[in-house]
Amino acid sequence: MVSDSISAAPIPSAANTKNPGKKKRTNRSAKLKQYKIDARREQWLSQGAAKNKGCKDGVEDDIHLPSSPMGKRGKQELEKVETRRRGEEDVIHQDSDSESPSNSPISPNCSVLCGGTDSGTNFTGSSSGGSSSSSSSSGGCFSGNVTEEEEDNNDEEVEEDDGCLDDWEAVADALAADDKHKTSSHDEPVVETDLSRELTHGSSLGYPNSNPGSAGMVPWGSGNGRAWRVDDALRPQTLPNLSKQYSMPNPDRRFGGGGPWSRLSVPSPCPICCEDLDLTDTSFLPCNCGFRLCLFCHKRILEQDARCPGCRKQYECEPVETEASVHGGSLTLRLARSVSMIERS
Amino acid sequence: MISGGGGGRSSSSSWAPTTSVSASGKRIQREMVELNNDPPPHCSAGPKGDNLYHWIATIIGTPGTPYQGGIFFLDIIFPTDYPFMPPQVVFKTRIYHCNVEPDGRVSMGILKDGWSPALTITKVLLAVRSIFTNPDPYNAVVPGIAHLYLGDRAKHDDIAAEWTVRFAK
Repeated sequence: MVSDSISAAPIPSAANTKNPGKKKRTNRSAKLKQYKIDARREQWLSQGAAKNKGCKDGVEDDIHLPSSPMGKRGKQELEKVETRRRGEEDVIHQDSDSESPSNSPISPNCSVLCGGTDSGTNFTGSSSGGSSSSSSSSGGCFSGNVTEEEEDNNDEEVEEDDGCLDDWEAVADALAADDKHKTSSHDEPVVETDLSRELTHGSSLGYPNSNPGSAGMVPWGSGNGRAWRVDDALRPQTLPNLSKQYSMPNPDRRFGGGGPWSRLSVPSPCPICCEDLDLTDTSFLPCNCGFRLCLFCHKRILEQDARCPGCRKQYECEPVETEASVHGGSLTLRLARSVSMIERS
Repeated sequence: MISGGGGGRSSSSSWAPTTSVSASGKRIQREMVELNNDPPPHCSAGPKGDNLYHWIATIIGTPGTPYQGGIFFLDIIFPTDYPFMPPQVVFKTRIYHCNVEPDGRVSMGILKDGWSPALTITKVLLAVRSIFTNPDPYNAVVPGIAHLYLGDRAKHDDIAAEWTVRFAK
């Protein structure tokens, strides 16, 4: 569908010979770029139809006319994309912001549309916020994301080799460079240093369409360009659940005080009954010899000879009353008598 | 939370078929896997039939002892409250040993009061194998063999070797 509209545009023949090496990129990144560009173009063109009718030359008309059949499809894809990835979401919301009359993003965008390769690259430079060499590095920086998008783009494989997209690649590189910051914050959602926060924030500021008022409209993860939190209401369902990695290496966040939980990396089975030790069991150390067992087996042994299975000595104290309760994710564990815990938090 | 999981363990007081994975069944299955993966030297063990609580084991007589060359079969009966109670180990092959009763039952400390739930069948088999090398005449169940072992070690070894040839080959 899109390939028709693109091939109708008189742009690419010059740019095609100009950058023959770009065609050798991986299919995935090309598809993804084309996909994003379609989304943006759809919005630009609808804008252009509403506001700037008649201010463009024939190139605008050439593109505008065949784009109307792809309108429905494009909008469906937009809805799909909005639930898929946050980086994608940014792009779309930035575009929807651009509909506000306060700023006029159309002029740089249309310069790309008109086929000026130089102005296109200027646009990438400004939009990427000073990021390095967007055109050459964009192919690599997408590799982590395109797997999700591939199912949606299976039917668009026809257009990846026609070479007509080189001019759009300039825009795509800009998007890629912008997304690179977002995806980097995706990859490490747990530990956020101040530096990375500044990076993501700075990249969003460097975007030409972003005005300070748009922060309220765009559903950021936690307001200031950080990654999605697990408990975020607006977090897309398709994002992988990182709760295990979230709790294990950085226990201070969840449990407040670190303490013994930081050592419980792998759940080990009870050596007596071979059931996995739960959180209460792993913090339970009834004997000084260090032999660990679950509370059930401990109780069972106390009813019989009350000797530690590890060292065969008598357990020192009477049955221990432990009480565990979970308050909103933070687990507090009270021990009635002084039983040797691993550490006291 | 604590009392919630206790139901499965209370069923271990009744006889459990092999299909049910009670507390003891899971433990025995785990031991069987470990024994297959890393068998102790000169030993083998496994369930006799489809009853997980009845194993048969073989121990090859340790070289350098009067029991060398013999293949000794043992029955291992797991109690339903295993591993809180020790398994019962019975020689099915006749053996001349002061720590093995005439009906074949093995008398060892770790199979009585010295039992610990942390012990496994692998360790039990190694302990049985060790009494081939080092009989314990001071805790013997057959006093005559113990006396002979202490008084006339050569004659004791001759008889033991003769029994090995006669019954264990």
